Amino acid sequence: MRVKLKASSQPRKFIERIEELSGENVYACYQCGRCSAGCPVASEMDLLPNQIIRLIQMGLEEDVLRSKTLFLCASCFTCESRCPKGIDMARVMEAVRHILDPKGKDAFGPGEISPELAQEVPQQVLVSIFRKFSK
Amino acid sequence: MKVHYYPGCTLKQKTTALDISTREAMKRLDVELVEPEGWTCCGAEYPLTEEKIVGLAAPIRVLRQVREEGGDVLVTTCSFCFAVLKRADKAIKDDPLKRKRINAYLRDDIQINPLTKERTTGFEDYAGEVKVLHLLEFLRDRVGYPRIRERIKRDLKNLAVAPYYGCRLLRPQEEMAVDEPDSPRLFEEFLQAVGCASVDYPFKQECCGSYLSVSLPAAASEASYRILRSAGMNGAKAVAVTCPLCFYNMDHRQEAIKETFLDFPGLPVVFFTQLLAWALGVDKSVLGLGEHRVPADNLFSETPATEVRT
Repeated sequence: MRVKLKASSQPRKFIERIEELSGENVYACYQCGRCSAGCPVASEMDLLPNQIIRLIQMGLEEDVLRSKTLFLCASCFTCESRCPKGIDMARVMEAVRHILDPKGKDAFGPGEISPELAQEVPQQVLVSIFRKFSK
Repeated sequence: MKVHYYPGCTLKQKTTALDISTREAMKRLDVELVEPEGWTCCGAEYPLTEEKIVGLAAPIRVLRQVREEGGDVLVTTCSFCFAVLKRADKAIKDDPLKRKRINAYLRDDIQINPLTKERTTGFEDYAGEVKVLHLLEFLRDRVGYPRIRERIKRDLKNLAVAPYYGCRLLRPQEEMAVDEPDSPRLFEEFLQAVGCASVDYPFKQECCGSYLSVSLPAAASEASYRILRSAGMNGAKAVAVTCPLCFYNMDHRQEAIKETFLDFPGLPVVFFTQLLAWALGVDKSVLGLGEHRVPADNLFSETPATEVRT
């Protein structure tokens, strides 16, 4: 699918905040796509990891914050180990989740897991997912 | 040899197989495991943004307790605990600002003397005095494979096992510094030391779907299926894991995987410590095989105990 993008008139603000939170240099990305090629959940994503970076570079904050991708990242660091420019994409994803409206709804909160499933799964999965995907 | 051991939350309740097989195996290697007094959850996730540093408090509290008890090494088996503890320790060592902030926060913890019940506060700053090791590293570097080979009581007859590293054990390499993330040898060498044949396959460091198994089960099924299928196609009779969550995704959810992917015949998943304990002569009844959904009993079939290896 071809999409015509128009860069934000004030891209710096969003990028600076992402860089401050993540400690990563977003401008280092030259769109090789290795992060997306190796991502185990890329097939479920509306925006691929390299597309997220591109939109951040262009300052298109709203498009990034709307993406399902933020809550599909399992922080497995496959992208991090493959990036030729040394960007840790998992940190960028976490930074974007951090920026999302802190008063907003949980992307995945305790109410969304049945008591039976909560009983069955290892505790670490509950601690992990709520730390990642709820406020 | 005495060493501090951090089991973590899951090993105490849901995945006791990993805990008990670790204890039994270490007894046979003359390693005494000491749990730090009053340990708490490690937090499961290392905070990835610069502003959420409070997530470092829990792992640093555990490490500080080890230091207070005179320990300088902490061994853990769960990959999640290992990653959080190791990365938190490195952050405290490398970043003076984080060290200052976290220690300022933890200084007022109350310490209760176990004998007198006297309550005191005021801990010395933790500055990275404890080395965090995964049990696989501990076996390689501190126990040594020659000692394991000496103690082996059962011949596993080159059982074909696929080592599965998963996400947290190796990455990010700069912080974990365990082995090469793309061509690791740690797990393979361990399997060979206990008498298994290590199966090489391309999915050993791929992600199993991790916590997505509760929010998006289909994605976790697919990720786990790719790993299991690849291991099976390369001749593995079992997949060996280190992490309770990998075990859950690939063993407990294997029925669901089979319902989606009809070509998948099924494959047992075991903990590396079960193989170790079994090779060292531990009785089958204490390996925790009852926790497996995919029966793994056949892998641990009794052959006469022999002193085959030297």
